[in-house]
Order: sequence, then structure tokens, then C-alpha cells
Amino acid sequence: MARIVGAVGVPHTPHFPGIVRRGEALAPELERLYGEVAGHLRDLAPDVLIVFTSDHYNTFFVESVPIFSIGVAESAAGPGDYRELPACEVAIDAEFARRIQAHVVRAEFDVGMSQEFELDHAVTVPLHFLTPGMEVPIVPVFVSGLMPPIPLSRRCHALGAAIRAAVEDDPAPKRVAVLASGSFSLEIGGPRISADSHTGVPDPRWAERVVSLLAGGEVGKLVAEAGEEQLAQAGNAGGELLDWVAMLGTFDPGAPAFLEAQPGFGHAYGAWRADT
Amino acid sequence: MSLYAVNKVCYRVVREPEFRRALTEAPEEALRAARPALSEEELAALLAGDVGRLSRMGANNFLLHQLGRFRLLGLDLPTYAERIRAAYR
Repeated sequence: MARIVGAVGVPHTPHFPGIVRRGEALAPELERLYGEVAGHLRDLAPDVLIVFTSDHYNTFFVESVPIFSIGVAESAAGPGDYRELPACEVAIDAEFARRIQAHVVRAEFDVGMSQEFELDHAVTVPLHFLTPGMEVPIVPVFVSGLMPPIPLSRRCHALGAAIRAAVEDDPAPKRVAVLASGSFSLEIGGPRISADSHTGVPDPRWAERVVSLLAGGEVGKLVAEAGEEQLAQAGNAGGELLDWVAMLGTFDPGAPAFLEAQPGFGHAYGAWRADT
Repeated sequence: MSLYAVNKVCYRVVREPEFRRALTEAPEEALRAARPALSEEELAALLAGDVGRLSRMGANNFLLHQLGRFRLLGLDLPTYAERIRAAYR
């Protein structure tokens, strides 16, 4: 049967690929952090990568805003929102995606599907660093973490568990890895940005708390503490943590194989092996 | 009146280069042609690059910052940051 072999989580800051390309001061740190996670992901040797991501008012804004949706196209291109980033076309395991969607709907989880969509930087930046050859097909799972009302943390964790059950119901011997894309504390364009930037980290203590709970494998506590108010306090992109929470629902996370916060950014890089 | 109209302008800015060009060349005309229609208050605030007021009125901050990112309506990112922060001081 198919099984979840492990998971990773990274940020998707749209400026990072350019910083690395131009060899700016932060480049070695970014290459090391994404490189560590990429190494773990390579070791997991996944046949397919389930990607939990939050749309940044690109794919879902005008026609409908699903709280949860699975992308079931054959492939998707991106990023539609940052044309200066490397363009890519990512293969999607559409059959597996449809199978997962049908399974979770039958399990009373009302997840919609998207048949035609562009990927935004929240998917393409992590893939750019982790699977630059785009050789692993993905199943994008959109969690509406930015546009209020955002789903509850426990609901996102339950979504992860429902997707795990759907994966394990597939008789094909697939190795499935999971990727969470997002920050823990981040404000974009709102009043809590820093004076010299269009972003800010409104609640660095919360970001530290998240990292400490992840390090201790205390997912229950994380889900309990990541309430609506806390996520709002963490910034208008604070709901991106929900992508990590959903990812943590897809296996039984113990201590991470790798976890490192990037000081000053309100985000971290992590990797888990499902069998340890 | 709906702030959706303002949010929609910002959403289009990201994906429509022609709309960005129109906003640079003839901003009032481009904004008056936008649908859904903007209220006079929204139109005036947009033309003034008054993102603080638009934010206070309820426009979405993430979307608003795209006006600064694409240097439209007299904004750039430093001006955007200054105005949005000042509005909540």
C-alpha cells in the first residue's frame, strides 16, 4: 500500500531565489538551510509529494474561496504572481489527487477540487530549492490560511489525518512525502511591517514557541495553542502555520530529523522521517 | 460601496501588465473603467495613493501592498510602508 515516508516544512519568501542567484550575503545560509531539507527529502525517495500551501489571493479570490481544495489537473505552471522568479511547469499526480479527494469527501471532509489553476510562489519557491528538476509529481492541497475566515487549527490537523488514511487506502506501493510551505509569524503589507520593508515579524516569541513545540514533537499542544487569536497576532500571514499543522497530521511526528529556525524571519526549516 | 472593488484593483495589478500600464498613464480613467465600480471615496483615496485610509476603510493589506510593489499611484514600497504604519500609529 501507499504510505507516508516523511515530511518537510520550509518558508517560501519570494526574494530568496534572487538572493541566492545574485550571491548576496544571506545566500550561503539559505543554501545550507534549504539544502539540509532537500537532502532529507532526497533520502525519502518519494514517488509523489503532497504539498500543503496557502493561496496568496492569486488562484482563489474572484470566483470562489474554498477553505480546502485539492488540485487535480495533470500539471500546473507558476509562479503567476512573481514573474521575475524562475518559471516552472510541475507535474501533478492527478489520479492520486482525485483518489485522495474522493476518499476524504467520503470520510466527511468537504474538500473541493481545482482542475485548472496556476501555482503561486508559495509552491514554486520551495520546489525551486528542494526539487529543482521538478522530477517528483505533486498533489497540491490548498488550505485557506491567509484570507479570513481561516480554518481552525484542529480542523487542519484532522485534514492531514484524513489524507493519511486516503494515502494508506491506495493499494499501489507508493512512497509519499509531504511538504508544508509557510511562515509562523509574518505580516505582509499591514501596519505591523518594519519601517524598511513591506514585511514584518509581529510575534517572534510565537515563532520561537512553534519551533520549540516542533522540536519536542508536541503536536497536540501546538494545535491547541494555535488558536484563531494567536494566528492573527502572528500576522496577516500567520495562518500559514496551518499548512504545517496539516502536514503534521499526515504521520506520527516524533523528534524532527532536522529543524532550524532562521533568526529574525519568523520561520523555520524542518524534516521528519515517518519511521523514526 | 464595497471594498471588494479596491481589492479587485490590487488583484488585477499583479496579473495584468496592461492594467498596470493604464494605471501609470491615465490612472483616473483606468480606475473609472474598473469593475465592479469604485465609489468616489475609494477612487479619491486610490488616486492619492492613500493606502492608510484604504486600509482603515477595510481594504485588504496584503493586496494593497501590491500597489507599492508595482510602483503605482505615486507609491513605492518605502512610501507604502510609511503610509500604512502612520495610519495605525
